[in-house]
Amino acid sequence: MNAPTLLSSCAHAAGAAEARFRVDYPNARARASRIVALDDGAAAVMRQVAHEDWDGARFLTFRAARSAPGIAGLTLDATLAAEDGEETRLSAELEGADVVVMIASAGHGAEGAAVVGNACSVRSIMTAGLIVAPRRDDPGVERAVQVLRPHAAVLVIASDPDFVPAMLTALRA
Amino acid sequence: MLRKDVNDLLTLTGPGTAMGDLFRQYWMPALLAEELAEDDCPPVRVKLLSERLIAFRDSKGRYGLIDEFCAHRGVSLWFGRNEEGGLRCPYHGWKYDVTGQCISVPSEPEESGFCQKIKLRSYPLIRIGDILWTHMGDAAQRPPEPQWEFAHVPPEQTFTSKRWQESNWLQAMEGGIDSSHVSWLHSGALNSDPLFKGARGNRYNHGDMRPHFEVVEADGGLFIGARRNAEDGKYYWRITPWVMPSFTMIPPRGDHPVHGHFWVPIDDQNCWAWSFDYHPVRALTREERTAMQDGFGIHVKYAPGTYRPLANKDNDYLMDRAAQKRGETFSGVDGIAMQDASLQESMGPIVDRTKENLVSTDNGIIMARHRLRKAVEALRDKAVVPPGVDPAHHRVRSASVVLDPDIAFVDACKDDLKVRPGVKQSSV
Repeated sequence: MNAPTLLSSCAHAAGAAEARFRVDYPNARARASRIVALDDGAAAVMRQVAHEDWDGARFLTFRAARSAPGIAGLTLDATLAAEDGEETRLSAELEGADVVVMIASAGHGAEGAAVVGNACSVRSIMTAGLIVAPRRDDPGVERAVQVLRPHAAVLVIASDPDFVPAMLTALRA
Repeated sequence: MLRKDVNDLLTLTGPGTAMGDLFRQYWMPALLAEELAEDDCPPVRVKLLSERLIAFRDSKGRYGLIDEFCAHRGVSLWFGRNEEGGLRCPYHGWKYDVTGQCISVPSEPEESGFCQKIKLRSYPLIRIGDILWTHMGDAAQRPPEPQWEFAHVPPEQTFTSKRWQESNWLQAMEGGIDSSHVSWLHSGALNSDPLFKGARGNRYNHGDMRPHFEVVEADGGLFIGARRNAEDGKYYWRITPWVMPSFTMIPPRGDHPVHGHFWVPIDDQNCWAWSFDYHPVRALTREERTAMQDGFGIHVKYAPGTYRPLANKDNDYLMDRAAQKRGETFSGVDGIAMQDASLQESMGPIVDRTKENLVSTDNGIIMARHRLRKAVEALRDKAVVPPGVDPAHHRVRSASVVLDPDIAFVDACKDDLKVRPGVKQSSV
């Protein structure tokens, strides 16, 4: 008794005529996205896009690690700078965060990647690493790959800074 | 998520569209050579990039791809007689050569030269390997012929098929660069399909269901590395090349042949999924070729007399809930190709990407869309030739390797990801 009987109950529902009957509603709540520049070069790239119209994303710059009471055995927190220059703490920013995008430029970001990555890992927060480098053969790219790889579910090496807003839009930041 | 204007930009490929113009920069697969098997054989209807065309092979073995409709009264030349160096419309006898030039209008005196004034739109059609290729762009900008390895190895080392997919080309292509679905959708096939089973790498696929990804730009497109845990702290990498706009290769398994795809728009709601298998250094075995012909691996069983899959929309893809429950298939649909196609068609003819919720591991797809968009805009606004036109970009391979944990795959595998004549694929 499972045989399809109506157009909408069989695979033909994938056709253009049936597509208009798809239920139209917002199918996800807004994500809490944190974009963290791990070094000055990355911060400059980030500033180019931070002013655009985002869905609640917060843009932050890593300043320094700082000792802190442990969460799941971690003893490090970090000081971050918000868009307006105000200092804030990584642990506070990660409360309720759904996704953290770490941005690094070639050869940099080692300290920040470890602190931010570990903090996300113990909180089960989705991570992505993005290395923005005009030249793939820059030796600094390889160093950035090595420091970000252990801490990001995905690592992208992009020559084009325009990829940053494309990625953030795709991730509904 | 993709804004609607960008989704439209990337998915619409008819005449006058920006993405259509991009596709017209490339040599594309148009037909299997078997479709025009001999001189003066029946003509074949072809639709590509939303243009209806007719392909034929004349008395001297020359291939033609011309406007489907006679310039006189608009009759389809599929009804034509392919004879004596041209295709003759059966209505009033007008005849065309492989360039679309009218060479006979029987009602008019030959010396009037009237027929010289009639010419149908035509595109070149050349044979390389098992495929007839066309270039639908400006003849003055025609690129060198394609250099894809699968089309240039000896015939006994390669096999190509095509199947109709009832969806836009982009969602089909995106499946080709989406490595994370393999451990789920195709999990049963890794153990049972004769063209996949038995490879050591399959164990890593089954053992690590949450791969990590690295996306690296290449001259022609991207390399997408999927990393899973292997023994002794090492990583198993599966590296997928994507060459713009629509060529993808699947990382190999053991000594099985290497497979890949072209995704070519028929119109905005349909595409051809071209599927090839080849081995760089040896002939395909009889068992391998038979398996491909029987629809295993990335190929399909056909509805008789067509290139439409036997499992299709009309029969709910022969859904087998019992096999799904037993775990033989994850989705209930049999065969790797139709497991992909059934789900991609279910998205709708052109998936509404404003509704999707991508996650960080979808960054291969995100980067591919970004590069396509940039290339489309650069071509449209500055006449920049897009990546993937240069035949040097065609000479890529996929690879599967086990590496130490601190090595960048794109550097460690620099040679593995290039065509090396006489050297077998790098595969685990």
